[in-house]
Amino acid sequence: MTIEVNGGRRGLTDPEIAAVIMAAVPDKPLETQRKMNYFMKPRGKRINEYEVLCCYSQPTPDWIPGGLDWGDWTQKFHGGRPSWSNESTEMRSSDWLAHRDPAFRWHALYVKDKAEEWRYTDRFLKAYSADGHVRSIDPVWRDEVLGDYLGAFGFYEYGLFNSHSSVVRDCLGDTLRMSSAMIGLDKVDNAQMIQAERTFLSKLVPGFPESTDIPKQEWTKGAIFKGARELVQDIWQATYDWNEILFSGHMICDPIFGQFVRREFFMRLSSYYGDNLTPFFINQMQLYFSQTKGITTDMFHTCLGADVEFGDYNNRLMRAWANKWLPRTVNALKDFMAIYATIPEIKGVSDKAAIEAALVRVFADWKRDFADPINYKVDTAALVKTVLSGLK
Amino acid sequence: MAISTATKAATDALAANPAPVSVGAQEVHRWMQSFTWDFDKNRTKYSTKYKMANDTKEQFKLIAKEYARMESVKDERQFGSLQDVLTRVDAANRVHPKWNESMKVISNFLEVGEYNAIAATGMLWDSATAPEQKNGYLGQVLDEIRHTNQCAYINYYFAKQGQDAAGHNDARRTRAIGPLWKGMKRVFSDGFISGDAVECSINLQLVGEACFTNPLIVAVTEWASANGDEMTPTVFLSIETDELRHMANGYQTVVSIANDEAASKYLNTDLNNAFWTQQKYFTPVLGMMFEYGSHFKVEPWVKTWNRWVYEDWGGIWIGRLGKYGVESPRSLRDAKKDAYWAHHDLFLIAYALWPTGFFRLSLPTQEEAEWYEANYPGWYDMYGKVYDEWRARGCEDPSSGFLPIQWFIENNHPIYIDRVSQVPFCPSYCKGESTLRVLEFNGKKHSFSDQWGERMWLSEPERYECQNIFEQYEGRELSEVIAEGFGVRSDGKTLISQPHTNKDGKLWTLDDIKRINCVFSDPLKAL
Repeated sequence: MTIEVNGGRRGLTDPEIAAVIMAAVPDKPLETQRKMNYFMKPRGKRINEYEVLCCYSQPTPDWIPGGLDWGDWTQKFHGGRPSWSNESTEMRSSDWLAHRDPAFRWHALYVKDKAEEWRYTDRFLKAYSADGHVRSIDPVWRDEVLGDYLGAFGFYEYGLFNSHSSVVRDCLGDTLRMSSAMIGLDKVDNAQMIQAERTFLSKLVPGFPESTDIPKQEWTKGAIFKGARELVQDIWQATYDWNEILFSGHMICDPIFGQFVRREFFMRLSSYYGDNLTPFFINQMQLYFSQTKGITTDMFHTCLGADVEFGDYNNRLMRAWANKWLPRTVNALKDFMAIYATIPEIKGVSDKAAIEAALVRVFADWKRDFADPINYKVDTAALVKTVLSGLK
Repeated sequence: MAISTATKAATDALAANPAPVSVGAQEVHRWMQSFTWDFDKNRTKYSTKYKMANDTKEQFKLIAKEYARMESVKDERQFGSLQDVLTRVDAANRVHPKWNESMKVISNFLEVGEYNAIAATGMLWDSATAPEQKNGYLGQVLDEIRHTNQCAYINYYFAKQGQDAAGHNDARRTRAIGPLWKGMKRVFSDGFISGDAVECSINLQLVGEACFTNPLIVAVTEWASANGDEMTPTVFLSIETDELRHMANGYQTVVSIANDEAASKYLNTDLNNAFWTQQKYFTPVLGMMFEYGSHFKVEPWVKTWNRWVYEDWGGIWIGRLGKYGVESPRSLRDAKKDAYWAHHDLFLIAYALWPTGFFRLSLPTQEEAEWYEANYPGWYDMYGKVYDEWRARGCEDPSSGFLPIQWFIENNHPIYIDRVSQVPFCPSYCKGESTLRVLEFNGKKHSFSDQWGERMWLSEPERYECQNIFEQYEGRELSEVIAEGFGVRSDGKTLISQPHTNKDGKLWTLDDIKRINCVFSDPLKAL
């Protein structure tokens, strides 16, 4: 038969072609090692699918620790700066490819989860609207808090989303790059969920503004988010070290400011004001927070902080970064305290004692999960006191 | 609690019509442009000589969750096919051995492009000012992760289920040994991520994705299925569905700079450089993989090239951008000349250097030689008779003590590496458009095969300082290099690469190579 095949003939199904192929195929496999990346050191007992598909996908010259390739970059930036370099971060590592997402998510698993969350969101919104739950939301909470301040908080999430762009470009490891991109998508998803909630409310409540005009005004000009805005802007645009961006955003800012605003303000208070819609969205955001926490904990504590060669140095640097970013985060939270003056006070829920208790919870969590592992000494009571001084 | 007017209206509306209400993706997306805000430091970390507009649209209008829904559906179809039907019919073991070897290279090298495109689109996400455009680039970041995983899945699948796992199971560790790697790194790695941000977009989206993914990801599926491989079409066509959005992202990049009068000063030069960079590698390598890495042929590569690169991209796609001042690259005509012979020239060199691969190569059979001669008249006199000589000298047999690279040395046909493209060329024995140019800079000699690369180097030599493989391996014995680069199978001695795919042929070992005592030398030192 001719070796040029026309008309889309397929070797698997065309008997004539298949016969030629099968005559050429070896009678038994030529290699017994059937596991891809069999040479790698897995995080667990065995190499899992996430590690097979993600690890060592990065072409890396031999002077970026952890890579397998040889040689230099073949094209550099104008002026000769290399494509990726150790100088892009103050952190040091003996293996930049050591990180693992604790959930072992590669792309397919990640989008499968998120796709289901979208389907579930759609089902939930239909049920919520048909049940008429919107009738029970306190008007002040609904129109001012959800309309204006939750909308403004969307810009916080959007700003942090953008802070990941340079991380995705500059970071030095493949699993780090994939994790960072997924964290970034989760953050913009948060911003979009906030807008989705506002759009949904505008459909149910005549006169409820769907527009982002007032929230943007509140975010860019208002006093409540002033500290947060300046903090996010600095993480997004003024910080060049990709590890510092991730550390400031996910080890300081979001576990303190973000957690307080999402968990202790919007989610905890909403039901007291008749709002059982917002917790649905915030719970998704909290899921993403939890997954991100797993990722960044692995990066900063399991890998960088415990690095056999550079661990002590990295922990010292993290403490220095904490010194730099913690006061700004505390200041952002202090500004946010002004929001309580805009809502009707509920004893034991939104009074000073309840706010203080909420702050104690957030700072205690942060100390346990983020400060203690790097041996960062912190007086959380003093921090709570500073934040409370912002109460109007 | 007092009931406000709005609450009463909501109550009334609900009483009149309690129909379930939800929110669509487009209803959220239409607010996308308002998500950002101005502040003093709001600028990109990656400089560009272009000025990007801040109102550019993203044509596919995806939000995060809708993106995930769309991709999840595609994944279910693709992985469902792989894990069910194709596995049950033992498809991975019913692929022609020559094509099985080609997929070691194609899937791994495409993976490199996809991986680096993650970082590339991260840079574009940073440099764009329009929120919709940022959102479009973000979607592409995730797509590129998807494609990286998908390409890996091809190797993973072939390693687990196919006829020769070596090279599929360790491509990421062994790919850096050989002469094909650095050119790949140049076009699909560094060319995407290092330079002016818009220039990188031109490299990635306007040329890499709009031009070369068509032959690389679409045409390859026809060659694969003709040779019994149904895994590659299943995965690659799923990848290609995302590439359409990436081409749209590239189009929007051009739209975003179109109103900048200064853009016209740079755009066509950057496009010409990007096109030449890409074609310099892909024109010969893809043709070589298709024609020499298959048993059943779909059509001559020169025809495929002409359709996808010259007519579809150089004509129609670039034509659509004509209203923004974009012109077809001036180097397109020289590339067209290369499309005829360059892949034959490269295979001659690649086969000569076969021990430095992570795949098995085969000499053309008699019927293949006739096909080449019929489609490329003059092929036999230039190449076929050399292959006959190599075969007669026992190049496939480990006991022969003959490596084809010796033929080049004996006949005084030195092989050089083009400093800019990193593609090997033999100016004294080729039919493609390669001429030797040697320049000195900072006490070091640099070889070039064409005027376009030479021009790029002359204007910015510091960007192309990379050592080539001859400089890197200078003075090293071949078996040492192979062992150091993990070019052996799991028995620790048999080479992954082989000069044949004969089912009963003997396999070369490190000892066979060591007996020949082949030592690398840099041809530039002899000049």
